[in-house]
Amino acid sequence: MTDFISLFDPISIILITIGGILIGLGVHFIPVGGAPAAMAQATGVGTGTVQLAAGAGLTGLISAGFMYSMLGNDGLSNIELVQVMLSGAVGAMIMISVTMFIGQLVYVYCVGVPPVSAKVDKDPITGDIQDIYVSKGTEGHGIPTVSFVSGVIGGLLGGMGGSLIYAILMNAGSPGPIESLLVGPSPATIALAGIFSAGVFYVNAVVASYNIGGTIEGFHDPKFKRVPKAVISCLIASLLCAMIAVPIMGGL
Amino acid sequence: MTDPIIIDMGIVALTGALATIGGAAEDLESDVGSQSNPNSQVQLAAQMDFPHRIFNKAISGEPPAYGLWCASSAVVASVMLAKGMSVLFALAVGSLVGAILLGMFAVTAHMGRTASQSRFKQPLYMDMVVGHVPAIIAHGYIAVFCIVSFSYIMNAIMGHPFPLPLLALFWGVTAGAIGSSTGDVHYGAEREFQNQPFGCGLNASYSGNIVRKGEAGLRNGMDNVWACAKFGGPVTGLALGLTVFLDNWRSTIFTGANAEWFAIIAGLIIVVILILLNRYVEVDGRNAYGPYKEEEEGGAPA
Repeated sequence: MTDFISLFDPISIILITIGGILIGLGVHFIPVGGAPAAMAQATGVGTGTVQLAAGAGLTGLISAGFMYSMLGNDGLSNIELVQVMLSGAVGAMIMISVTMFIGQLVYVYCVGVPPVSAKVDKDPITGDIQDIYVSKGTEGHGIPTVSFVSGVIGGLLGGMGGSLIYAILMNAGSPGPIESLLVGPSPATIALAGIFSAGVFYVNAVVASYNIGGTIEGFHDPKFKRVPKAVISCLIASLLCAMIAVPIMGGL
Repeated sequence: MTDPIIIDMGIVALTGALATIGGAAEDLESDVGSQSNPNSQVQLAAQMDFPHRIFNKAISGEPPAYGLWCASSAVVASVMLAKGMSVLFALAVGSLVGAILLGMFAVTAHMGRTASQSRFKQPLYMDMVVGHVPAIIAHGYIAVFCIVSFSYIMNAIMGHPFPLPLLALFWGVTAGAIGSSTGDVHYGAEREFQNQPFGCGLNASYSGNIVRKGEAGLRNGMDNVWACAKFGGPVTGLALGLTVFLDNWRSTIFTGANAEWFAIIAGLIIVVILILLNRYVEVDGRNAYGPYKEEEEGGAPA
């Protein structure tokens, strides 16, 4: 019985919950216009919140997995944990930057619209006037600089959260340091940690997307003020996920 | 003796090339079958009394759908590899299974979607099912084969710790997310609404009024993929190829010798360059098109 309780490692559960909150926060930064943006009818990337966040987050998870295998097969030091998290964050940032940039090429050179936000009169970063560029009957189009930078921040937070969850689950599931040093973590542990991280990522991305309600332009969007609600929801959802995932990984 | 780093870079370039082809095929498959956000207009068209001949199979977003096809293919390929089959054979047969699943999905999703619109008098054209599904399977096969192949290279040659099915699942989701975010905008904002004035996005009041007449006869998914293959498909391939190449490049070139921080810094530099490039394109677009002006003749034909 004592063994069963000891599987609920409180530090791992707290860190996974923090990872979940980071993901929920990150999703709010990612500029998504949903279906209207696919018709150049709203500012942001023309896809759903969860879709883009998950695409970026999972790319980050692949980068974090690479970094973990280089550093952490014999357990992670604190600085190595930071490196794994940052590697995941950079992977997610690269994916989302490339996607937004190529999306921008389509908006500007194929659809023929200038990037513009309909939520602010001036771009808070570049100071460019926005409202006179908005086409009639639309809520902006393309990805202005403020939305792009916001998306990069979203990738950073999402990638960091996903990698933190992966690293903690790998630590929870790894055998003792001596066995790890000899044979490394088993493929089953890696697969389970990877799929659990993706699962926690999806849970938090979906919870956050309910808060967003379809479209958000980035941190300058009035909807961004709803973030505190998402933090509480993601905290509860991630805590539940962590309480299931940590004992399973620890029991391997 | 060739320097190992040259071989590593060759492998990274190969993953990038496979991802480029796979991304392009992924986007074009979603244009033939109209799956993704632009399909909301295809769905709406029938409800707005515009019956059409566009294939419609969007019962799921592209990322989870491609995650499923790629993971299924990778599972079959893994089992065959474990039984000692040759790599190319295993990947080809695995991808075939994924493509057949996609075909089954396409048929049932299209029939289900169209049947649900019978109250709006949207017919179910059997010749479209017969004509479009092979093209969907063919494009899907290329996309799935490329994604599973570069996932295999990452797993078996580059030494990524994730098992093949998990890597294929993650890259499938990413490929779907990129296809849905980049190339589909060409299909949604441009190809579906060529009857609207160019260069102002879609006025919300024209929603559902998609182009239904083709260059010859009535327009269908084949006509859409013909147009989107000229811009939307290739740029989607570029996006997936760049993502896979840049991420693998920085992870591979800075391995060992405590160079992990350089991998992170190199990634940050790439992101800063992309922010600056985006700013350049933004300024170029604003200067080229100028502020919005309403046309004197009035909007679009109904």
